[in-house]
Order: sequence, then structure tokens, then C-alpha cells
Amino acid sequence: MNSVHSTSRVGDQAVVVTQVAERQWHALEDDQVIGRGDASRRPDGRIFLSIDSWQDAVFDQLAEVMLADLSKPLYTVVDEADIDLTSNWQRAGFTTRRREWEYVVSTDPQITGLDSVLRPEGVRIIPVGAAQRAPLGELYNAIRDEVQATIGWDSMPAEVLARPDGISLLDLSKYAVAAESDRYVGLVRVVPRRRQARIGLVAVRADLCRHGIARALLAHVLGSLHRSGIETAWAEVDESNGAAMALFEGLGARRASSNLELVRR
Amino acid sequence: MTGTARGIEVEGTVIECLRNATFRVELQNGHKVLAHISGKIRKNYIKILPYDRVLVELSPYDLTRGRIRFRYRT
Repeated sequence: MNSVHSTSRVGDQAVVVTQVAERQWHALEDDQVIGRGDASRRPDGRIFLSIDSWQDAVFDQLAEVMLADLSKPLYTVVDEADIDLTSNWQRAGFTTRRREWEYVVSTDPQITGLDSVLRPEGVRIIPVGAAQRAPLGELYNAIRDEVQATIGWDSMPAEVLARPDGISLLDLSKYAVAAESDRYVGLVRVVPRRRQARIGLVAVRADLCRHGIARALLAHVLGSLHRSGIETAWAEVDESNGAAMALFEGLGARRASSNLELVRR
Repeated sequence: MTGTARGIEVEGTVIECLRNATFRVELQNGHKVLAHISGKIRKNYIKILPYDRVLVELSPYDLTRGRIRFRYRT
């Protein structure tokens, strides 16, 4: 797919924006790529854009073509500290939809205070990798439905993006689970790396919230990370999610940065 | 009509995460550059940490600046 969309001049040179694949655009100057645009559809159906260029005028030209080609609403994510990029998107008509705080939390139970956490009575923790697929899938779907019925899943910075290598959305090696009797009632998704782990999702069935299950799950997961030599973990939390912010701040987590989700309607 | 990339792409290692959404990256030749992350990395929530090996596209306008286009698996 090579269709020329737009030609203009940036400085002394003519810049051509062309669509090179279904959701990819290039800005070309003298047949060299000086800017790239990309659109990808998330599992929730929303389309997120990204544009990389070294010049604002090229960014604007790519944005103009992409916005003309794609149906709205369209979304993007920027680091709030990246003022130049944020203003580029604002010039293209994007406005802030929501903010996510990135928390960094120690895994040391003596720092988090989780060394003294007791599991709620009747609740057991199934470690990462040991959960069964069917009940985990049932829990995951139930939690998605509960979130969708309240704040909406698109307000959660917890979406698992589809990967080209075919890894399942519900990768059992990434979940620790809280179980009560035969029922799974809460989960934590954790992705360990060499030095820092990502807590991708902490969720408990709505009828069992505020019973200490999330803290017990985090105590288990962070403790395991600490014992394996990983000193910190991070998690993104929507700023409207007061319970999640209280949970992490109660562990001594600090805000390291923030992401803005922008939308063009 | 896909063209070739104008920026030079080189591998490097992240040595510092700075507060203003930039990273200090030491390239294979020992030079250090300031780099932002690409929109695709940001969009996909790929976290860049010190000691990560990355592919950096250098700015054709300022070779002390770059954009992290890829993080290698460790």
C-alpha cells in the first residue's frame, strides 16, 4: 500500500506523506524517511496513534493525513513531562482524557510493611504460574465485566496488548491468584524483569473488596520478587482510582512519572 | 515508495533515566546521547530501565540527540 497523501514544503525541501501499510505512514524527503506514523487497535477496539519526527512541521503533516484517514475517536499516550510532544498532539486537536500515575514500590517487606500482613480467613494465595486456566479466565472475565459496568475498562491502564508472537492474553506464568474455597476471588498480574517488575493489574471481585485480599496478594508477590533479588516494582494507576492509589501509597510507593491519555473526538 | 531512514541507527545501553522523559544512552562507540522513546514504545507501555540494551536512531540535525526505537530482550 503506497498512496501519496500530502505534499508540502518543510524548509527548502518537499515533504511527501505516504501510507506504506494499512496503519503506517511515512514522511519522505528526497526519498528518505524523516517521520513515521503508526496506528494500532487495542483489544478494547480503540485506535492509538504514534508519530515520530524530528520537526514539528513534519509531525503536523503526518497528523493531518492520519486524522483524515482514520475514523474518530483516536487516542494516544504521552509522558506528561514530554512537553514538546504533548503540545504537538494538542496542535492536532487532541485533549487530555485521563492521567495515569506511575508508582514505584519497594519489594522489601520491611519497607512496605507487608511483612505483618495476615491473609484474610479462608483465603489462600496461589503463586505465580500455579493457577488453573479455566477458573482464572472466569475470574478475569468477571472482573472485566465489573469494571466495565462501573468506571469502564478503557479507564484502566491494565489492558494486555496483543503480541505478534502469539502469547496468550492470559499467560498463566504472570498471575498470582487469591482463592476462597474453590472459587478464585482476586488476582495480580506481575511481569518480572532483571531489576524491576511490573505490576500490571491488581483486582478483587467486587463483593470481596475491602477484605484485605489485594494487600495479601501484593504481600505474596512483592515478597517473592524480593527473595529473587528484584528490589522494586512499578505500576500505573489511573488518577481517578482512589482505592488503587491508596493501596500503593499505603505501601510507601512514590510517584515517579505520569502518562496522559489524549483523545481526538 | 517506502524510502530509507535518514537517521543513523546504533545500539547502545541506557545509563540513566532522566526526569523529563529522556534517557542518557551510551552508544557502542562510547559516545553518550540524550534520547526520547519512540511513540510506539510509549504506546505499548514498554518500560526502559538503566542497563537496557536499545536501538537508537540519532537525529540527523543533532548527533547528541536520539530516539529509542527498540528495546532488546534481556
